[in-house]
Amino acid sequence: MYDKTVRRRRAVLGLLVVLSLLLLTAYFGEAPNGRLHAVQRDFLAVVSPIQDGANKALKPVRDLFGWFGDTFSAKGQRDELRREIDKLRPQLIAAQAKERTYEQLLALYHLERLGLSDYHPVTATVIGQSPNIWYQRVAIDKGTPDGVRVNDPVVNAEGLVGRVVAVYPDGAQVDLITDSSMGVTARIGTSSATGLVVPKVGEPNVLLMRYLPPNTVATKGELVVTSGTVAPPDNSLYPPGLLIGQVTSTNEESAYTSVNVRPAVDLHHLDVVDVLTSGAGGRASRLSTLIANLPAQSQGGAGQAEQLAATGSGG
Amino acid sequence: MSTSPSPALLARVAALSVAIVFFQIGVVSEVPLFGVTVDLTPLLVAFVGLLGGSLLGAATGFAVGLLVDLTLLQTLGVTSLVFTLIGYWAGRLRELRDPQAALTPLLVGAAAAAAALTGYSLVEFLLGVDAPVSLELLRQIILGTIVGTIFALPMYAIVRRALGGALPEDPRRRRRRRAYTTGGLSPLTKA
Repeated sequence: MYDKTVRRRRAVLGLLVVLSLLLLTAYFGEAPNGRLHAVQRDFLAVVSPIQDGANKALKPVRDLFGWFGDTFSAKGQRDELRREIDKLRPQLIAAQAKERTYEQLLALYHLERLGLSDYHPVTATVIGQSPNIWYQRVAIDKGTPDGVRVNDPVVNAEGLVGRVVAVYPDGAQVDLITDSSMGVTARIGTSSATGLVVPKVGEPNVLLMRYLPPNTVATKGELVVTSGTVAPPDNSLYPPGLLIGQVTSTNEESAYTSVNVRPAVDLHHLDVVDVLTSGAGGRASRLSTLIANLPAQSQGGAGQAEQLAATGSGG
Repeated sequence: MSTSPSPALLARVAALSVAIVFFQIGVVSEVPLFGVTVDLTPLLVAFVGLLGGSLLGAATGFAVGLLVDLTLLQTLGVTSLVFTLIGYWAGRLRELRDPQAALTPLLVGAAAAAAALTGYSLVEFLLGVDAPVSLELLRQIILGTIVGTIFALPMYAIVRRALGGALPEDPRRRRRRRAYTTGGLSPLTKA
């Protein structure tokens, strides 16, 4: 009797472990439109309404927990923000002057800086977030019927949140900017230096801006924004000027300079986000086409188009 | 020795698992503590194993892992594998050692949280995710274990209360039975 029980226990454990390994191998090896992925999508379609309902019902509980944490950190944040405002005020004045010049130069090319309203933002509620540091992603409650498509940028009031990686009838999955699959072409606010912002390997809450020219000067606290490159080969999915984060330090370990960037968005407290669903035929899309059709020397992205505008050449 | 769990126990475990997974995804995941997110699911699996035995622990681990992976669109099988082993280990601990100390849930919770975080990391490394061992990762594992330990006792109380009388052999009832067979007295008081 005892032997039988032991054998059964071991058999069940072995079966479950083998089943897990089979699932893992099959899922990892199959294409995103494979059978297991489809099962996962169907399951999400079923639980998404439940998840949405639970999310709304449990919001007061979440807010209560969040309130405690927010209260603890509020005082420190207030002092830090006051210091930051004092430091940023002169920069803002200088930036406003520069922006006026920038707008005038852009007008010469009949280009306007894209406003986010041109990207048809769809407001979505975050209904699920992975507790696992290996999966930097969230689920939202807007999907295919709302015009959400794969690769649509996702933002909130603080800045760039991530991009849509999977869309379903009842929701979508968003990879955060700290996910290992992300890469965003960006520039440092006061300079024209562009680079690629990727998550810092081994540090899930820090970003790394790589491939900056060696002579790039980046000071602590400078803002990093999307470059908004739209023409091949440096395709960028994101509109120009979206805040990504702030420079925290500079690394000079190779031919290229890289800087560490602290994300502007509090990725642990995402409640509501906007998905920028610029559809084909939209203003943003038309402008992208226009830039792509610029003369050969100006192709290579909005960054170069902006440089052309700044020097007044190429027209 | 593990016996087959009753249908009533299975139903209670299933309902509790679904409730905890949705509570985890909807609330707990969005409230970081000391810079890390509390993960209640490995605690749930470990305590079901500790109270219900290795068979129930392993099966619950597999099911909860699958539910988490399906709901969060994670790689299927990773969480199931880690949680199956955690549930089985906790069940075997009960079957072999039958720990009665009040701090047992605390230690089991800490071990489950550490095993889950380390297990994820190992499997992700094996799958080739670009994330070498770093101090930050180590910090996340240590902090995650500490936070998991903090939540171990309340979580144990919830699991114990939810499964209640459906458990095959409640350690409290066993203690009471032992006391009854010795006349409610220990040999010391007899002397």
